[in-house]
This record gives sequence, C-alpha cells and structure tokens, in this order.
Amino acid sequence: MSRRTRILSHITLILVSVIMLTPIYWVVKTSISGENLFTYPPSIVPHDPNLFYYVQAWYTVDFVRLFTNSLAIAVLVVVVNLVLNAMAGYALTKHFPGKGMVLGFLLASMMIPFHATIIPAYLLTAKLGLLNSKLGIALPFFSHIVCIFLFKSNFEAIPSSLVQAARLDGLSELRILTRIMLPLSRPAVATNIILSFIWSWNDFLWPLIVVRSPDQETMPLGLVSFLASFEDTTGALYAFCVLVVLPSMLVFLLAQKDFIRGLTTGATKG
Amino acid sequence: MATVEFSSLVKKYGPLEVVHSIDLAIRDGEFVVLVGPSGCGKSTCLRMLAGLEEISGGKILIDGQIVNEIEPRDRNIAMVFQDYALYPHMSVYENMAFSLQYRGFNKKEIKTRVAAAATTLGLTDLLDRRPKQLSGGQRQRVAMGRAIVRDPQVFLFDEPLSNLDAKLRGSMRIEIKKLHRRLGVTTVYVTHDQVEAMTLADRVVVMNNGRIEQVGTPEQVYHHPETLFVASFIGSPTMNLVPAEHDGTLLRLNDGSVLIRQPENKAAQPGAKMFGVRPEDVTVAEGPPPEGHSEVEVVVDVIEALGADTLVFATVAGSPFAARVPPATRLQPGASARLRFPNDKTHLFDADTGKALA
Repeated sequence: MSRRTRILSHITLILVSVIMLTPIYWVVKTSISGENLFTYPPSIVPHDPNLFYYVQAWYTVDFVRLFTNSLAIAVLVVVVNLVLNAMAGYALTKHFPGKGMVLGFLLASMMIPFHATIIPAYLLTAKLGLLNSKLGIALPFFSHIVCIFLFKSNFEAIPSSLVQAARLDGLSELRILTRIMLPLSRPAVATNIILSFIWSWNDFLWPLIVVRSPDQETMPLGLVSFLASFEDTTGALYAFCVLVVLPSMLVFLLAQKDFIRGLTTGATKG
Repeated sequence: MATVEFSSLVKKYGPLEVVHSIDLAIRDGEFVVLVGPSGCGKSTCLRMLAGLEEISGGKILIDGQIVNEIEPRDRNIAMVFQDYALYPHMSVYENMAFSLQYRGFNKKEIKTRVAAAATTLGLTDLLDRRPKQLSGGQRQRVAMGRAIVRDPQVFLFDEPLSNLDAKLRGSMRIEIKKLHRRLGVTTVYVTHDQVEAMTLADRVVVMNNGRIEQVGTPEQVYHHPETLFVASFIGSPTMNLVPAEHDGTLLRLNDGSVLIRQPENKAAQPGAKMFGVRPEDVTVAEGPPPEGHSEVEVVVDVIEALGADTLVFATVAGSPFAARVPPATRLQPGASARLRFPNDKTHLFDADTGKALA
C-alpha cells in the first residue's frame, strides 16, 4: 500500500469512527451535563460536568433490582449457550448419516426472524409454566445457530491428530470437548460469551411479552418505564442509558481481542 | 509387550477398497516398519491397529486377542503422530502426565513415571515449557515421552520424523533405535522413507496399492526383492531395470544388439523379462570380462560426484542405467564406456507378473 493510499484510508477510518462515536459521546455528555439537544448555544464540551444525574437515575427506579435481574438472565444465557453451542458445534464436526440435512435445517432456521416465532415461543413458555420468570425470559436465547457454526469452524481448525491422541490417551468425547477443544477455541468461547451476553442484555421485546410483574423487569424494560414515568429528566434518562449499555461494553472490551480472532477464524480456515 | 496380527485385513471407504486382505504377523518385541509410497495403505493399517479407523473386514489381534471392537483407549497402545499432536495449552509435564491422569494413576506414580521418561529422553529441563517453546526435535521427544509413560504393549509411529530436517532425522532415528532396544516394546512404524525403514526395522513390510509386496529383513528386501515394485522402490538410486527377452539360453535386450549372459535357472521359461542390477554392483570395465561377469556398452549421460563415490547415469536399450563407482573413476558425459556386473548379482523378473524369478 502506498503512503498516499495509507493516509487516505486512515482519514476515511477516522471520519467513520467520528460518525460512529458521536452519538455515544453525545449520550455520555448529556448524562453528565443534562444539556438537551436544543440547548442554545450548542456546545461540544459539557458545561459543569457532574454525576448528579447518575445518582438521580439510581434512586428514581429500583436500579439494583433491574440490574441483578438482567445480570442473572445474561449469566444463565451465557453459560447455557456455551454448553449447548459447544456440544452442538462438536457434534457437527463428526460424520453421521443425515449430517447435510441437519446443517441445511439449521441454516434454514436462521432465515426465520425471531418475531415470527414469538407466538409459538410464548405458548411454549406458558405451557412450561415459565411466564414471568427469569428462566422463561432466558429460554429462547439458550442457543444461537451463529455460535454453533462458530464453534464448528473453530473445532474443525484444530488438527484431528489432537483429538485422536486424546482418544488414545483415554478421554471420552465429553472430556475431549472440555479438556482439548474448548481450551483451544478461546476466540469462539469469547465470541459466544459476548454475543449471547449482548443479545440477552439488550433484548426488549421478549421480556416485554413474558414479564408481568415489576420484580422480574430487566434493564431495557426499566428504561422504558423510566421514560414513561419521568418525561422531563433529560440528564437522568441519558445517565440511565449509559448504565444500561455499560455492562455490554465492558464485556466486549474484556474479550474483544479473542472476539475479533473468533470472527476471522472461519474465514481463514483452509 | 505383545504380538500383533493382521488377518485378511480389509479397509473400504464406501465402495473403494484401499487395503486388500492383508495378512501379517508381528512378533513380540519386534520393530516392524511399513514402508511404501503415498496412498499405499500403510497409515490406514496403522490407524486400524490403533482403533482410529474402523475395520471393514478381517481381524486385528493384539497378544492373541481380537481388538476389532475394542476402543482405542482400551487397546493399551501408544502412538506418536506425524505432527506430534502435543496439546498446545499444556506444559511438557502435563502433556506426558495427561493420559496417566485418566487411567487412575496417583500423583506420585505419575510424577515418577514422567520423571523417568524425561530422564530417558533428556527432557528434564523442559518439563515446564509449552510445546510452542520447543524445537522440532524436542517436540518429537516429548511425543515419544508421552507414549513411553503409558508403558504400552505396542508402540505405533506414524511418519514421526517427516517434519524434521535431514540432520535431526538422522539423530532421531538413532534415538528411536536406542529406545526400542532399551524398552523392547513391539513397535510398528510407518514411513515412506526407505532409509528410515532400512535402518530401524527388524523386518520391513513393503506395501503398494493396499497390498503387501514383501516382508523380510532389510537385507532380504534389498538383496532379494520378490517383486519389480520392491526392486524399484528400495535403494537409492533404485535398481537398474531393463526390459529384456529370454530366448531359452541367452538374455537379449530389447534392441536385440546387446547380449547379457544369464544363468539358465534364472529364466527357465523363454519370454519377456525385466533384467535388474543394483548400481553399486556395476563397475566401469577395464580389460576382458572375468568369468561370470557381463558387460554393456553405454554412452554416459550425467556424472554426479557425491564425494564418497560417484554416480554414473547412462541409457541402456532406452532405459536409464546407473552405476555407483569409486570417486577416482575418470569418466565424462558423452564418453563411451563399458559397464560390468557380476551375473550372480543380477535379478530377473517376469515382465507380466512382476514376480522375481529364482
């Protein structure tokens, strides 16, 4: 790449980054200054920044309850996703009759939007007696086909001789998965954690349908309740938004290195 | 230690049969090398013995017990893989101790066994390192150490030296030989490298196209090849093989102009034959041929001076013909020469069946 091309691409990347980061900056700025969009004259730098609106948001709603509900559901989703997706991904690395059909079925089911399955999902959850419970909120997120394929491609990149050596060493298939495949698939594990956490943490529609009492509300539901109840609280609303988004960002930042590798593994496998 | 036996062993992938009814008996403590070109079925046989491939037909017996349906972990065998197959997320110690942990050994016993294997293989100072921090030779030794600690009945080696450079390969060959002598464990070793086969084996099994061509000591397969394939596969340069016609008393080359005298018992039946002689049995002729020797007139194509000796490449009746001669031999490309060989060092094969004629 020539110097000129490199400079041009850097300028483009910087511009795109600025465009992407501006809304986030605006939310953070508003959350510490309370200045709404129509403040005149508009300012880039926040005037008199403070944490008052965070304190206000914290005490206005039962933040701890919302947070612990969301966290409990997200942790449950992440753990079950890791177990189910890894096992399914490992099974799909094997040869068995009808494997092509199973793969086709999985890929085809990815094309069905979640919204189209909400009614049957609701009926199933109701039949299981899990409406208005954390398990009921978490249930539809227990496995993601994207993550199954991610595990599959990661496992396939591991030399088959390692699996054979483990088999000769006396390991069962489950042990091979837990002792050999998963430790060698950190990018896939990280990607699975990030995606399942974010999907669970950010989901609004499904909890809205199955939750009936405030004690089971999650953060996105709390945000809507907050918005409906307190219209004239720009600073606190934005502070609440930051608090909702923060855990997802933290999880992403903690695992982003392996996450990026996870997304590119399948692409570079020969 | 144990005996190993293949009885009418067959491997099929769908309708394609890749191993055709192989019979082989390996003695207790023997070092047997399966050698052959890529795709000849040698690794498939090894993997069936390990339990990593299903057996399509026939039987495999270890120490007299049929193991066809026995899981790999219950066959009491250890295998060294071509790519070493070391667990990259574990230290050398953990790699060596790993299988013992799953076989009910206590920590003290594991430590003792790993320490003993590490001492044997010179790995004591490397036990805390990860595989990526080791050289190719060290990784190879760890792979062997992992096999040794198990104290298995049978060792299996699947082209273990093919990823090493030539110098390291030579030294590792000696290490493996020493190790086998010390432990005395029945060993099956797969390679496509004939030098490894000849230097390591008590017996060599030469395979081609899913069949055994010959089983014998390295000397037997080298000096008394039973088929054309063995003659052409073993040796470097390989045996000179020239089409010839036997008329009942004399052996004529296909151009009809050159005559090679053969003992009559080597070609009792007249017909198309393949005449063979090893390059090292060929000399540059000076003076009249002594009794029991034959000669061919050639024009030298290429000279390769290797230092210890010189290879002379020529053409006889349209076939390549090589001679390994002393370095002092004065020959130039393009020069005419007479090449001489003793009749009792020559080989004759049936041109149709490829079988050696006694």
